[in-house]
Amino acid sequence: MRRLMLPTQTAFTAGEAATLGFTYFTVGLTVAVLHVTDGTAPWVMIASVFLVNSVTPTLAYAAVTASGGSAAAGIFSGWLVSTRFGLFAAAIAPRLWPSRAKRAIAAHASFDPNVAMAMRESSDEGARKVYVAASLWLCLPWWIGGTIGTLIGSGLSDPGVLGLDAVFPAALLAIIWPQLNTKNRNPLLIAALAAVLAIALVEATPGGVPVLAAACAALLTLRSDN
Amino acid sequence: MLTWWVVLALALGVYLQRAAGALLLDTERLAPNWRRVLNALPLAIISAVVALATLSDDGELGIDARAGGVVVAALCAWRKLPMFVTVVAAAITTAALRAVS
Repeated sequence: MRRLMLPTQTAFTAGEAATLGFTYFTVGLTVAVLHVTDGTAPWVMIASVFLVNSVTPTLAYAAVTASGGSAAAGIFSGWLVSTRFGLFAAAIAPRLWPSRAKRAIAAHASFDPNVAMAMRESSDEGARKVYVAASLWLCLPWWIGGTIGTLIGSGLSDPGVLGLDAVFPAALLAIIWPQLNTKNRNPLLIAALAAVLAIALVEATPGGVPVLAAACAALLTLRSDN
Repeated sequence: MLTWWVVLALALGVYLQRAAGALLLDTERLAPNWRRVLNALPLAIISAVVALATLSDDGELGIDARAGGVVVAALCAWRKLPMFVTVVAAAITTAALRAVS
């Protein structure tokens, strides 16, 4: 078990493991409390933690629908915020196992930090060990945090006074902030243009169109000074 | 509010992207520009969703108590406070602004 959770001869440290575990535990807890106090049934929330296995799609759905967007627009936004997972899975899959079944299972655990940590390893064996360990340190706390958050959320009595319609955009903002705060100005420009496009179009176009149009802001990443 | 159908639709869409990436996509053959755009897409979408969820209601623009909550959230994120603190601060601000208005 120790070898599995903290593989030797890799760059993965106990400090990184603890940070991953703590971060994803608190994120799972927070997000589950938000959704359950927003009216999501406890079993639906727990199913979402395991099946969607990501927080941004459900947060995006809740944020879109809470401000009057249609369910279809919410689901569409949820899919679009997950495109990066496909790229992460594609990057790490060739370094894991030859078996396609194993790769398909491992893909369900592809997140930002565990893929980045595994890709640091020079050997494929090291990458595989780190991917397994970092995925366990990430997914187990997130699943446990999500379950505990569901229990806490269903015990809260009066969600109406909690300012809940502000918490979904607030949580999403907390997620993207580290990307904006870098020397490279492209992410900030992309985020600003996307926000302006969506706001400019929201009164003139049907639901879903503003978000789709804002996706075009991602093309700014092709600017040359990157 | 999430329902069974919403969770199943989101789970299917997210997993299909992950599985397609792992089984079908050869990143060596994907043009680097495409990779960069796909990588930047979530940031654009999240930013648009944050803007709409803060400043619009049923397709109408307007500034209300939510904007105050999200500004406080931005300050918390800037100070690198944990997500939990950020979210609670936003909720309390919004609820307080509603209570006094």
